[in-house]
Amino acid sequence: MQDEIKYYSVSQYNESIRRFIDSVPECHDVHIKGEISNFKGATRGHLYFTLKDEESRINAVMFKSAADKLEFTPKDGDKVLIDGRISVYTVSGTYQVYCDRMVPDGRGDLLKKLEELKKKLEKEGLFDAAHKRPIPKYPMHIGVVTAPNKAAKSDIISTIKRRFPVCQVILFPAIVQGENAKDSIVSMIREANDPKYNLDTLIVGRGGGSIEDLWAFNEEDVARAIYNSRVPVISAVGHEVDFTIADFVADLRAPTPTGAAEMAVPNMSDLINTINNYQIRLNENIYNKIKLLRKELNNYKTSYVLSNPLATFEIKSQKLDSYIDRLNMYINNKITLDKTKLEHIKTNHILMHPEELFIKNKNSIELYINKLKLLNPLNVLSKGYSLVNDNGNLVKSINDVKINDELNIRVLDGYIISNVKGVDKK
Amino acid sequence: MKKKDLDGKKFEELMNELDSIVKELENGDADLEDSIKKYSEAMEIVKVCSDKLNNAEEQVNKILKSDGTLEDFNVSDEPQEEEE
Repeated sequence: MQDEIKYYSVSQYNESIRRFIDSVPECHDVHIKGEISNFKGATRGHLYFTLKDEESRINAVMFKSAADKLEFTPKDGDKVLIDGRISVYTVSGTYQVYCDRMVPDGRGDLLKKLEELKKKLEKEGLFDAAHKRPIPKYPMHIGVVTAPNKAAKSDIISTIKRRFPVCQVILFPAIVQGENAKDSIVSMIREANDPKYNLDTLIVGRGGGSIEDLWAFNEEDVARAIYNSRVPVISAVGHEVDFTIADFVADLRAPTPTGAAEMAVPNMSDLINTINNYQIRLNENIYNKIKLLRKELNNYKTSYVLSNPLATFEIKSQKLDSYIDRLNMYINNKITLDKTKLEHIKTNHILMHPEELFIKNKNSIELYINKLKLLNPLNVLSKGYSLVNDNGNLVKSINDVKINDELNIRVLDGYIISNVKGVDKK
Repeated sequence: MKKKDLDGKKFEELMNELDSIVKELENGDADLEDSIKKYSEAMEIVKVCSDKLNNAEEQVNKILKSDGTLEDFNVSDEPQEEEE
């Protein structure tokens, strides 16, 4: 039986697989998108690389003739769109894609542009928090720049109506995708800034879509229009995961159009609650204040002084009494003291017996008289002494007289007139 | 403040004023006369705000037409379309 089995070489097998694959029409004209990795540019101008996505990979080759027509220089990480065919490289027994044309995947390109613009505007300060204006809490007029016939519009408007029906919505219909979107959005943002609309807040956005669909909101002109908007802007582009330049430059970014409406207006019932709460707080405050004051007033009312208005008077009157008492006591003491002194003086011995004083004085006068009597020169004369005067001068020495002087000699009972006959010194 | 002045103010201004008066009354120790004056003022604002909310008719929404005029429009009148 062995003879009946035919064995083929590897080359033969690979060759027949190649022929089989080449015969499949689906492999003649393939269009693949993926990311370049393991990129090698061979010296002869052929390009070899792997094309991959998150889950799988395929080898790729681009021959020089096709590579020469490339409008960009591919490198690892580039996302590309490839037109070509699939065939087998028999040498290694692998199938691979032979690229005829390769262009950067527009999306990757867009993202790159987006990154660049984002950096530029960020550097310019368009995203600075300092430029963000506060969103009015209770807007009465809201402008919405969005597509007129899209769900986003009804989401926004019905949400505003439901939450805060007193707020008026003015819709500024804009083209939100495609070539004209950018200019349309910019002109509507400018229009909405006209003071005649008196807008408090402006919502700019659209519903979800692909990055290409949302692209207008990544345009520089739109970013600048939002930045220059006098009316504060809430951006509402796509879904929660979508971030556009408009979101970065807006004063507030809402995750979705409905979210924007919720952020833009308060809930009516919450607001009424808030106002009621203020009212309650006011009433409580004033009630408590009055209660407190009333209590203080009561304290005063029941105070001793106010409840016994005479009390202060009494205290003072009492004091006065005590002063009077003290004064009286002082005076009385003084009088008593003086009286005692007076009594004492009155009972003095001399005063009681004034004649004693007379007698005493009389005695001493007599004593003096006697003394004076003793001293009286006439007394001496009575004892036989005499006084000799020479011309009025009392003679005390022989030198006081001259011969023949007339001497007047005083004796007790008269004068003797004589003349000096001579002197004799003792 | 007169009611007329209050009516002319923006809702947000009124709410801010209300908030600051309430806080002032709660934190400060104003005398009774002043407190009552502020209280009356705040109550006036409460009334004006409540009136604004309760008595305001539901606003008619407008859409800007291509000729630059505003036209009434109502969301519920239109068939809902799905986003592309």
